[in-house]
Amino acid sequence: MIEFDSVSVTYRGGVHALRDVSLTIDDGEFVVIVGLSGAGKSTLLRALNGLVPATSGSIRVDGTEVVGSKGAELRNVRRKIGMIFQTFNLATRTTVMNNVLMGRLASVPTWRSTLGFWPAADREIAFEALERVGIVDKAYVRASNLSGGQQQRVGIARALAQQPSVMLADEPVAALDPVTSHQVMEDLQRINRELGITTLINLHFLDLARRYGRRLIGLRDGELVFDGDIADVDDETFREIYGRAITPDDLLAMDGSDVRPGG
Amino acid sequence: MADAPSDAAEPSGAVRPRKPPLQLRTILIAAGLAAATVHAARQSGWEWGSFVSVWSNPLWERFWPIDWDFVLDRRNVLDPLVETFQIAIVATVIGCALALPVSFMMSQLTTPNRPTYIVVRSVMNVIRAIPDLLLAVILVAAVSIGAFGGAIALTVFSLAVLVKLFSETIDSADPRPLEAALATGGRHSAAVRAGVFPEVFPAYVAHSAYVFELNVRASVVIGLVGGGGIGRVIEAQRQFFRYDRILGILIVIFVIVAVIEQISDYIRRRVL
Repeated sequence: MIEFDSVSVTYRGGVHALRDVSLTIDDGEFVVIVGLSGAGKSTLLRALNGLVPATSGSIRVDGTEVVGSKGAELRNVRRKIGMIFQTFNLATRTTVMNNVLMGRLASVPTWRSTLGFWPAADREIAFEALERVGIVDKAYVRASNLSGGQQQRVGIARALAQQPSVMLADEPVAALDPVTSHQVMEDLQRINRELGITTLINLHFLDLARRYGRRLIGLRDGELVFDGDIADVDDETFREIYGRAITPDDLLAMDGSDVRPGG
Repeated sequence: MADAPSDAAEPSGAVRPRKPPLQLRTILIAAGLAAATVHAARQSGWEWGSFVSVWSNPLWERFWPIDWDFVLDRRNVLDPLVETFQIAIVATVIGCALALPVSFMMSQLTTPNRPTYIVVRSVMNVIRAIPDLLLAVILVAAVSIGAFGGAIALTVFSLAVLVKLFSETIDSADPRPLEAALATGGRHSAAVRAGVFPEVFPAYVAHSAYVFELNVRASVVIGLVGGGGIGRVIEAQRQFFRYDRILGILIVIFVIVAVIEQISDYIRRRVL
């Protein structure tokens, strides 16, 4: 279970990225977070695994406090939380396998990972993660030689290799074309269902949010302005979250069949 | 990008601006530079005439004909040259190996903590401030006349040069894979190894090849101050004014350095 209790994040320079956000997410939920850029979506995810320190409040993951924790304690929280990035964040000059093994860093002695002596069990976990996203044939290909969609799958496999209980995805499809975007969203949905991993996804395309989300969280200027079932969401809800009318730019495609090239 | 020309085709009605005049600042900088150069030339006794008169110096006659019998005897040139290479190789390998961890400590991106960064940076700045020839003179005196002293001096030199070059490469590396590695819960050092090292390793190999190139040339010079190798032979012949032999040695060195530069260029092009 994830608990945010009046969490605020203020960046150096005085930008209030999150203001007094409280919410609870149960195990196995699939939550989509929407909001304009700068609304605090990214900060919300990064506060959860401590990449961005919360200024005040409390964040607990399965009862462990994240705010203020560091060192081994923080690494132990992070180990359970996989993260997927908008720009994939792979080490592009090494193999897919080495990137996925990155997900095992917290579980393997440093001397082993440094010298590349990964235990067979961890290699097995990495292979299984690659099989789950369907690119095990690319295991020994250099990451930079893959397409964007394949690179994002490596990113997902890396997170899966952590055997996490929580998965964070920060705009996972923003750098992908519409067709690939749907494939990656389906992968994430499937992983959530099959493995029961609690999933939090930042999206800025509203049609993707409506199609894949189950629970929707809306952020506006760092404040939680909506939290509810996706079934209760209509255009008016989005208008309130965004503070303006919905434009075609807020949609990946008008519907599933009409796919705009280049998105 | 693609729609820029269509924008330009729109008749905007605006008047084309005149080319802006040369800025006063540009003129002042150019004038200042010229004045400083002229002053420095006067002070240092620069004389264009010397470029002509130097050729009438009888010294040049001593360079010719080249004493090939001396140069081609392996005991005179080849053996010391091999020693020079050995100095360069040992210094490059040890210096570059030491530079690897030190560079990661001296980069803002990968340093484990602020104190480490400051200490390593200060120490490296001090080492780099010592002219390498002076370092060689001191170390040769302190350790021993000959190849070993020279090799130590060049090792320190390699370390200093490579740490400077490579830590700057690390500074400019993409921080995002490191963020991803840290997000998995990995230790800092493990995350650096997994997220940054693969991205900068080709640059490390390329810089090391360059350092080897520098070391081959520097190991010749270091021999002049007692560091062993071919430099010692050059110094001995210079004392007897045997410039005919020195020119022959220089030609051999030139050929070999040119070959090494080609190889090092090739390595750099392949890995980068």
